[in-house]
Amino acid sequence: MKKPRLSALTVCLLLLFVLPYKTFAGFPIGKYRDIVVPSFSYYSQSAHYDVNGNFIKGTPGVNFTSFSANLYVGYGISRRLDLIVSVPYLYQVNNLGNGKSIISQGAGDMVAGLSYNLVNFKYVRFLSVQVSGVVPLYTASSSTSALGLGDKGAEVKLMYCGALPSFIADKGYFNAEVAYRRYFNFQGPDQVSFLGTVGYPISWHNQVSLDVTVFRSFSPNTTFNINYNAERDYAFVKPQLNFGHQFSRRFSMFLGGYYVPYGINTGLGYGGSVVAIFKL
Amino acid sequence: MKRICYLFCLIPLFIAGNALKANAAIQEVQETQQSDESGDIVLKPVPKSENGVFKKNEPIVYRLQITNNTNAYKEGKISYLLTTDEGKKIRLDSVRLAIRGNSSKEILVKLLPKPTGFYRLNFMVNTPDYDDTVRKVFGVDPQEIRSKLHKPADFDAFWKQSREQLEKVAPRYRVLERKDLSTDKKKVYAVEMHSFGNLLIRGWLVIPRDGKKFPVHYRVPGYVVTLNPNMDNDDFIAFDINVRGNGNSKDVINIGTDNYCLVNVESKDKYIYRGVYMDCIRGLDFLYDHENLGIDTSKIFVEGGSQGGALALITAALDKRVKLLTMQVPLYADIHDNMNISASYDKQVFPFKVFRRYNDIHPGFTWDKFFSTFDYYDPQNFAPMVKCPVLMGIGLLDQFCPPRCSMALFNHIGSNSKEYVCVPNSTHEVNLDYFMFQNLWLREKFRIP
Repeated sequence: MKKPRLSALTVCLLLLFVLPYKTFAGFPIGKYRDIVVPSFSYYSQSAHYDVNGNFIKGTPGVNFTSFSANLYVGYGISRRLDLIVSVPYLYQVNNLGNGKSIISQGAGDMVAGLSYNLVNFKYVRFLSVQVSGVVPLYTASSSTSALGLGDKGAEVKLMYCGALPSFIADKGYFNAEVAYRRYFNFQGPDQVSFLGTVGYPISWHNQVSLDVTVFRSFSPNTTFNINYNAERDYAFVKPQLNFGHQFSRRFSMFLGGYYVPYGINTGLGYGGSVVAIFKL
Repeated sequence: MKRICYLFCLIPLFIAGNALKANAAIQEVQETQQSDESGDIVLKPVPKSENGVFKKNEPIVYRLQITNNTNAYKEGKISYLLTTDEGKKIRLDSVRLAIRGNSSKEILVKLLPKPTGFYRLNFMVNTPDYDDTVRKVFGVDPQEIRSKLHKPADFDAFWKQSREQLEKVAPRYRVLERKDLSTDKKKVYAVEMHSFGNLLIRGWLVIPRDGKKFPVHYRVPGYVVTLNPNMDNDDFIAFDINVRGNGNSKDVINIGTDNYCLVNVESKDKYIYRGVYMDCIRGLDFLYDHENLGIDTSKIFVEGGSQGGALALITAALDKRVKLLTMQVPLYADIHDNMNISASYDKQVFPFKVFRRYNDIHPGFTWDKFFSTFDYYDPQNFAPMVKCPVLMGIGLLDQFCPPRCSMALFNHIGSNSKEYVCVPNSTHEVNLDYFMFQNLWLREKFRIP
């Protein structure tokens, strides 16, 4: 006549589902459920790294600033399969010096695809794969635009995420993603990226998280462009620190700031983001 | 450039290493919970089908790991005995065992496909100085198990009348905040109400502080089990009711486990479970009458294990205010078949251990008499009335609630949205994985984050 027990361990693990995540892709959204994530980002750079990774100090009055808004929507088609769509809108100011500047704005590259949970490790950790298409929502002449590369592309991403192992911490979560993206142009680029995230609750409704992005874009076209959206051959490492607050079970927000401490053939800058997460 | 390349190589390796370590840790916890690793020679049979359920056209395959924990070389035999759920022998086979000290080996046991049902498969090791048996059960297409309903002609009228009698009892609710038990995150209330036969019953209501309206986790108790405030659930209001004779509802009925299910078993009208079932309905009345406490009455799920599983099902059957039903190892399911199956046990277990003892010491009492009462209370007879989504968990090694009985009950459930989870190494309980899945299932059905 033993009663089925919900062990203390279960309770700890259930807490995993209470925490809002800074990242979404690897965690199955859940059948018939939606996630809507509007975000706003700011980025500014004046210096850059050359092709050898050497720091090049910027010229006074020459800089690049980007404001971008992004809407990410995910829908759980089944317990394992999610549909995701991400649409950015960019506003960029490229100051060339001597009071001259170029302003460009418009929708960027839309990413739409399917995420499939390959394995769930006892509902504690998840291994998922995502296949997406990249479609430019702007017109680019001669494959150049300040809003992006102007080419269609495809991406495959492997994601592993879940609760932090107990030998590291008794609460918190992680997400690790390795992605390969190819733009359908003779110049490529082929892009490989890694994103690692660790989130840790600091109180009942607050958490901090750290993202580290390692990005490499390969292309025979090594021309430097101060606007990273229009570059083809470059690399960077970007750590980002975030603070998250859960306002309700359906609404959370994250504030984050980042800096690029190392890069190749790309800008050296800093930025921040505000991310709102609605679980519907 | 080299630094970036090194990072790409090192980071995935680091993650893969940690992932393997973490998943090994999960596995280790599970294994420790599920297997007894002690003994000179340990047998560890693992079904090819992870949940121990096979299809009727596929062979039954077990991987049998044999570990010699001694320093000595051992010789003997490994056998398996396959029987039906009633203990009827189907096949006995053995192979010679020769194993070095402190070593392991593995053999594959493959049986021909079997018809629908559950089967007992005992693995045995015999050496001159050591014997051991490991008991396993597997199922074959259990969703196709069919059983006969022994539903009395006036079953519906009987329960309609019971509900009418309940409605005549003024609930006289009392809700008392227990600040001594409350926390900064949750308020705890002790609640009281009058139920069938004007008996006083009590329960616990736990309400999260960070919100205005919550779905409800309504938990009903196992057999003479005390339910206490459920502080584990952050996204639900937890309502736990102690039906008469359970927990803090023992003012009038205070009977131990040996006799609780026998109180007035010879009278369908006075049998203890009539009041118990109505207590569960009264608990629903309480929830509906206290929406002002933040109770979202459109999202009430009822849950229980063992006797609680039966009570949860009956509550959902009799009252459509229940929106979801989750139950584990439901007690008393298909009570006629439970009697047949339990007759084959070497040692009697609850509930027929109690019923048989009663039958033995009451000469005028017959099994016909028993069923003339219990057919009004067999959860299986309520199952067709359940129309809400259902999740059930069973343990394949359960002798109190044999899997065949639970699945017979499940297959009678009238809902077109029902799922079950088999836990192959559990007896009268389910495991952590089940509860993790149940949590996701509830969120999916209620569409809550």
